Amino acid sequence: MRVGIPRALLYWYYIPLWETFFKELGVEVITTPPTTKGIINKGIKHSVPEICLPIKIYMGHVFELLDRGADCLFIPRMVSIKKMTTFCPKFLGMPDMVRFAVEDRNCRILSPHIKAPTENIARLSNFIEIGEFFNKDKKTTARALKRAEKVWLKYRSLNMQGYTCAEALDYINGKAPLPVKEKKDVTIGLMGYVYNIYDSFISMDVLTKLKNLDVNVLTFEMIKPKTLNAPIKKLNKALFWDFSNKIFAAGMHFLDNPNIDGIIHVTAFNCGPDSFLGKLMEIKSEACKKPFMTIRVDEHTGESHMNTRLEAFIDMLRRRDFVKTGEVTS
Amino acid sequence: MKVSFPYMGNVHHYYKLMKLLGHEVIMPPRPSQRTVDLGVKYAPEFACFPMKVMLGTYLEVIEMGAEVIVSSGGKGPCRAGYYGETQRAILKSLGHDAQLIIVDGPYIGIRKLLKIISIIKGKNSWRRLFQIGTIIYQQMKYMDELEKQIQIMKAHEVRRGDCQRAWNKIVEIFDKEDTKEGLDKAYKLSKELLSSIPLHPVEDHQRIKVGIVGEIYVVMEPSVNLNLEDFLGSRGVETERSHYISEWVEANLIPKSYRKDDFHERIQQKGERFIEIPIGGHAKETMGHIVDYKERGFDGVIHLMPFGCLPELVSQSIMPSVMKDLDMPVLTLAIDEQTAEANVYTRVEAFIDLIKAKKFEHNIKKEEVAFV
Repeated sequence: MRVGIPRALLYWYYIPLWETFFKELGVEVITTPPTTKGIINKGIKHSVPEICLPIKIYMGHVFELLDRGADCLFIPRMVSIKKMTTFCPKFLGMPDMVRFAVEDRNCRILSPHIKAPTENIARLSNFIEIGEFFNKDKKTTARALKRAEKVWLKYRSLNMQGYTCAEALDYINGKAPLPVKEKKDVTIGLMGYVYNIYDSFISMDVLTKLKNLDVNVLTFEMIKPKTLNAPIKKLNKALFWDFSNKIFAAGMHFLDNPNIDGIIHVTAFNCGPDSFLGKLMEIKSEACKKPFMTIRVDEHTGESHMNTRLEAFIDMLRRRDFVKTGEVTS
Repeated sequence: MKVSFPYMGNVHHYYKLMKLLGHEVIMPPRPSQRTVDLGVKYAPEFACFPMKVMLGTYLEVIEMGAEVIVSSGGKGPCRAGYYGETQRAILKSLGHDAQLIIVDGPYIGIRKLLKIISIIKGKNSWRRLFQIGTIIYQQMKYMDELEKQIQIMKAHEVRRGDCQRAWNKIVEIFDKEDTKEGLDKAYKLSKELLSSIPLHPVEDHQRIKVGIVGEIYVVMEPSVNLNLEDFLGSRGVETERSHYISEWVEANLIPKSYRKDDFHERIQQKGERFIEIPIGGHAKETMGHIVDYKERGFDGVIHLMPFGCLPELVSQSIMPSVMKDLDMPVLTLAIDEQTAEANVYTRVEAFIDLIKAKKFEHNIKKEEVAFV
């Protein structure tokens, strides 16, 4: 039995947990390669035209997994990872969408309901049904989950030390050592969901591009949960979607933080939550006089468009410093 | 205090509610091209259509002098629950100081809720507030019942427009009544009015019935859904919606133990086969209603949603399987500021032709069987 985990959506946030858990249970895991045009085309074929890009990509990865011979798909139903918040309706309905899309393919779908009071979802109640599915007793499942949790916590602590998900993942998997961090003259606050930023197709490797432009980048997963909670508590009403709250909180944190020179918001075509928080950020950034740029991508976006806009934005930030201090910083 | 509210469906209820509470009411204009233009100009591009239309309405009523705008909230995960916060920020950034009051449930905290209610309540006693509430609820129930009847009659009226004229009259009749007895009288009068409309006689098996399901705003507001019910009626199709304001009130504002029947739970249960858990908005209900319409012998379903609606996109995604599974034709229409009348009407007309052909074919087969 081979379990397939699509390299899309919350893959980037939870993969160390999921992968370790299945491996500890003695189950073979296969994942998809990074998004390619071919994978996207598969996704487009099997989803509604006007749905957001990440979902199309997810569908593409699902079909890629089936073509690669997965017998079983792991499509968790992400319900809630914080009190009073939930996920975007498309996450909630994801298993239903996949179930009907793969109706004529012979595969099983594992979709446990994931509910937890914090973002640590390694609770036995969430994963017990998977253990049962593979005929493992409660004790084995619990032990596997414990080990998986440990790896995931290590992963998250690396994030919070300032390493990106991609860097931390390579380190955990023993592929590459942690890179050395240098001090740069410009720091960018990058707002965007993990499945947008780390999907090389959606964001066109925005992180590498920014690194090549010689700037520091801060993303939401590098900020401690406690710091992220503070701006949300100040809101009259928090957003309903947990990761949107995190992004929004990171944005507000960037606005208040004098070390951040500018904010870039990478969002995918037709993202519902982003449409609201983007507008609110636009209004807030104007009041704070902090440069804010939105880059919206879809399956047709060209790479040179991205390069030009990033370069222009960073140039503008450096010029701003120059006007302020009268010194050329780089 | 000059009070106004967004325009959705039968707005006479909200007008009367505010009037009875003693506020000076500014009646919002029916959403027009100008409303949409205003909304689109200031709302985020990928916000859903109802949000844009509502923002446009707010800007129009502010022009007319409204100081307070009352609207409803929500606790997600549908975006509708966050309209208020975003719209408030937008209005503020445009320099308007009108107050936007969002009526939310107890989940925002009892103290906050009481504060909001006390602004709306004004100087009225709690007892009076409850009285007014019951009167409005009664009016909603009466008018919705009449509307349901009209939706069926429209398909068979002899003189085009009779039903619409009758409805305008009914609204006038109800507008004059502020007491429970008055409403009873108005209801009786309206019933008589409707029974005087001449109709073409139709046999049961000739009737074409279409259910309209989807997101509540685009389903309920005719100016946004291009008067779809009217259009279907003019083509001889009886309609029923998945949303009526009295049913919404019953499901959302009346405690479970006081409800007369468990209609909403039943609909939810029927949808469970396709969408396991409530995913916000009315996606699960949409599924439930389609199953319900199938069971009640409807011939087709039109599924309306604003472009990019989060929950309804999930329903749209699984619609092909639903259609196959239930053998029920469904036409999905996404509506936004770029929707063109001719496009929608052509598609709907073709859809009607198809379901008529399907029904006709079915009936012929039956007759053949009878002959043998």
